[in-house]
Amino acid sequence: MASGNSTNDRGNEVLVKENLNVRTLILNRPRQLNALSFQMVSQLLELFLAYEKDSTVSLLIMKGEGRAFCAGGDVATLVRDVAKGHWRLGAKFFWTEFILNYVIATYTKPQVSILNGIVMGGGAGVSIHGRFRVATENSVFAMPETSLGLFPDVGASYFLSRLPGFFGEYVGLTGARLDGAEMLACGLATHFVPAMRLPLLEDALSKVNTSDPAVVSAIIDEFSQEPALKDKSAYHRLDIIDWCFSRRSVEEILSALEGEAAKGTDDWISTTIQSLKKASPTSLKNSLRLFREGRLQGVGRCLIQEYRVCCHVLRKEISKDFFEGCRAILLDKDRNPKWEPSQLELISDNMVERYFSKVDDEEWEDLKFPARSNLPVHAMAKL
Amino acid sequence: MASSSSSSLDRVSWRALVLSRHLQQPTDSSFQSLESSVCLQYSPPEGNLEFDVREMRKLNDGHNFEDRDWLFGLLIQSNLFCPRNSGGKIFVSADYNQSMEQQREITMKRIRFLLDRGVFKGWVTDRSPEGELRKLALLDVLGIFDHSLAIKIGVHFFLWGGAIQFFGTKRHHEKWLKDTEGYLVTGCFAMTELGHGSNVRGIETITTYDSNTGEFVINTPSESAQKYWIGGAANHATHTIVFSQLNINGRNQGVHAFIAQIRDLDGNICPNIRIADCGHKIGLNGVDNGRIWFDNVRIPRENLLNSVADVSPDGQYLSSIKDPDQRFAAFMAPLTSGRVTLSTSAIYTSKIGLAIAIRYSLSRRAFSVSGSGPEVLLLDYPSHQRRLIPLLAKTYAMGFAGNYLKKIYVTRTPKTSKTLHIVSSAFKSTFSWHNMRTLQECREACGGQGLKTENRVGNLKGEFDVQTTFEGDNNVLMQQVSKTLLAEYISAQKRKRPFQGFGLEHMNDPSPVIPAQLSSSVLRSTKFQMDIFCLRERDLLKRFAADVSQREAQEGKAYAFLLSYQLAEDLARAYTERTVLQAFFESETCLSEGPHKNVLGLLRSMYAMICLEEDASFLRYGYLSIENAATVRKEVMKLCSELRPHALSLVGTSNWSSMSRYYGALWYTSWVPAGVLQFRLRVTVGYEDGKWVLAPKVLPADRKAGVIYDMGVQISDIAKEGCSHCDKGQWK
Repeated sequence: MASGNSTNDRGNEVLVKENLNVRTLILNRPRQLNALSFQMVSQLLELFLAYEKDSTVSLLIMKGEGRAFCAGGDVATLVRDVAKGHWRLGAKFFWTEFILNYVIATYTKPQVSILNGIVMGGGAGVSIHGRFRVATENSVFAMPETSLGLFPDVGASYFLSRLPGFFGEYVGLTGARLDGAEMLACGLATHFVPAMRLPLLEDALSKVNTSDPAVVSAIIDEFSQEPALKDKSAYHRLDIIDWCFSRRSVEEILSALEGEAAKGTDDWISTTIQSLKKASPTSLKNSLRLFREGRLQGVGRCLIQEYRVCCHVLRKEISKDFFEGCRAILLDKDRNPKWEPSQLELISDNMVERYFSKVDDEEWEDLKFPARSNLPVHAMAKL
Repeated sequence: MASSSSSSLDRVSWRALVLSRHLQQPTDSSFQSLESSVCLQYSPPEGNLEFDVREMRKLNDGHNFEDRDWLFGLLIQSNLFCPRNSGGKIFVSADYNQSMEQQREITMKRIRFLLDRGVFKGWVTDRSPEGELRKLALLDVLGIFDHSLAIKIGVHFFLWGGAIQFFGTKRHHEKWLKDTEGYLVTGCFAMTELGHGSNVRGIETITTYDSNTGEFVINTPSESAQKYWIGGAANHATHTIVFSQLNINGRNQGVHAFIAQIRDLDGNICPNIRIADCGHKIGLNGVDNGRIWFDNVRIPRENLLNSVADVSPDGQYLSSIKDPDQRFAAFMAPLTSGRVTLSTSAIYTSKIGLAIAIRYSLSRRAFSVSGSGPEVLLLDYPSHQRRLIPLLAKTYAMGFAGNYLKKIYVTRTPKTSKTLHIVSSAFKSTFSWHNMRTLQECREACGGQGLKTENRVGNLKGEFDVQTTFEGDNNVLMQQVSKTLLAEYISAQKRKRPFQGFGLEHMNDPSPVIPAQLSSSVLRSTKFQMDIFCLRERDLLKRFAADVSQREAQEGKAYAFLLSYQLAEDLARAYTERTVLQAFFESETCLSEGPHKNVLGLLRSMYAMICLEEDASFLRYGYLSIENAATVRKEVMKLCSELRPHALSLVGTSNWSSMSRYYGALWYTSWVPAGVLQFRLRVTVGYEDGKWVLAPKVLPADRKAGVIYDMGVQISDIAKEGCSHCDKGQWK
């Protein structure tokens, strides 16, 4: 979630490098950590659709300019737009972004994302759904939306819910940061390549003239390593994560964690509890419900549901937490959001249900995807 | 001799050739190995369905959606439930190839896992309607995963736990319920005996009271009195409810229930208890059914479950209900839970079968109508629609009826217990029969693919067959339905009072009149459908009453009812189908106008039409003229084609698909290179012989998805085993 002013060089926010059968898409807003503007998601969508039809293109590479891959959607601009005008401006951003996520998730040609730096929120949306995700020692992955009053979107209810056990609930609810080794271990990344070998990898990939994933995978394999997990990695705690985060409700998850904390001092558990307590209670409840439904649905249904929740969030009818979160974290930067409702117990199932219902507005419609005819089965699931 | 050795040399070199070809992988990249057939391509329709499947799922499940999703997720994320990734979806289903011992052990492990995750919280301690509904929802989910798991849990919580809740009093609740919920004790339910199943009142186990020690003494007096089919008894249960005749001071007071310990905490069988295993079964092998003998087992006086009758320390029998018949009825009334859960689990299982068969029929093609045209999707054949879509409509109807049954179960009062008894009996029988019939049809509708264990339908047939006879034999239960209706009829006639209850109020109105000419719009009207179902029911009830009373005069009272069994069957069916239709209609009425309501209207009409077509009563007793019966038959066909476009969405709601297969045997290309494609096929029979056939025509570069291309391959030869000495490997 990067903040920042819009840049002057709108036209160059996505750079394209052409190389025989390979196209490299470079997210190019380094000062905003490559946060996705509306312009960028629209351009990416156009490019993806065009390359799918273009038989000379067999492989896409996506990477970021500078030290981030992509820090998320350009939320600050979004919030300003919504404040100025109608909530629909914001909805249009999410609409386009989610369609892009869907196209990536169902893409017929391989995409290699080089995640050499920050990958958060919307950045995960344009990479994790793709076929190959290359992490490095510089990778930092997080879905920090619950602390912003939003929820892990961009299809996270699909890909987080498919991580081993209940690791996805942990990552999505607490906003915990993962490094490259952890990304590889849990499956968010498919490969780990040391950053210094990236130029060689890109060079090798630029010569690819087939869409055969086995060929692409073999090339990346040549540069890959098996990094060791840090001793303190949360991934070593899968047992405890499964035990606590498999509970039926956020309240029960918290009390299971507190039960574990009572057994002895443990920094990791207290940090985890703290993150949950700092997050928007409404966000936590919406997120958990999205993960639980998403685990049983295809990526399309997940995005449709996320879009509904997004629209309700933008309309501020049920809670204004997203705008309060942006104020506290991105604008005023007092880092002290006043969530409303302030307690998990004050949020009834009915309130959550309202977020999941259709928006009561004649002009509103559910997310609609472009036709993807004869999808091969692999296009539906790459994780 | 010489010729023979030369021929054997030929054979050796031919085998070598076959083997080397077999090992050799084609390296030429212009050849795609045959994985794909255009006619089998299938794109999962996501997001753009005719109606909102999320809403339809809610109508189907009725309650506790989030609890269900949570539990499904819990199963999917644990290796204990055998998750299998297929096409990006996780499928969980029990492994029925495991031995009986393995199935029993893993079922118990799964229970421990669910216990640790808090699934059983409140299952016997929370008796609010909300708590009961939550429990029923979670049991639905477990039953979708594996019948054994649901039954094993059902025995412990619903039978053992339920007996303590309902037959016991405060002292039993305090002592046992919390331990039951935490599985500190594992319970079973020893009612059935070798000689007595549905006839519980005839059991032979006998219990006396010893006032010197303040103990009951339970005894198995004969081989036919051994407890049989007791779920949990063979391996895991530590305690049991024992049903036994109670003999006090030489007088038999009828059937009572006691608590007895059968194993100690280390799993050793207690003294004076003998246990044997019931062995391998056609299904449900995850449940350890056993046989128990009691050799004068002594239990404390407090272990009598004394809600309706007690024995004082000095050995006096005390009961608030004097009549043993009434006492027995009051005693058994709370045990309807089993029939409630079986009814809904039968429906969920039919849904699994139909989801598999309908998805298969939308991906598999067979024969082309015109010589060169594309092959036709199975579900586009009207005859295939007729096989599956009426079963789909029935399953929907019964699903709504199942939700109605749950509602009357969780809000039951002593006043509604009779209604609950006959509705649950009627539904358990009808739905379990429907399930067996549906599974068989689905298995056949999947063709050869239906035979695979992976397809699930075949296993489900074995797993769910038992539902037709346990918790009361279906035929016996259906007779009880008619018997109860008859008693109500006689009582209303005698006292000259209007009918009240069992949904028989329509009998107070004048008999409905069926129009002489039935048009499509009349056939689809709720009024006509309810009218003709009510007409059948009221007429059959009158005929049954007349028949029984006529036979009573001739054959005597005891035998009359037995001889009227044909009308009893017809009546019970009429009662059930009318109740189901009414439940469907009531669920439909609460909906606002829209695509859901439209499609449900079609399904309801289909349900009504198929009942009209299938039950010979309508013609036998003239509720339908021969001409109108033909009109009904045409309407079935019309409804089939109108429901055809909705078929996938109707089985596409998440509660239908989440535990079933996405694909039958579909071949698809993982990676389609651009440009012109040429195919070659390897035609084999047996293990290692075979022949490559090159398709004379190519797949053009500008090919379109969903269009069929003829590759021009024609195989005219009959495949032969490659080891035959006369086969020179030369194919025509």
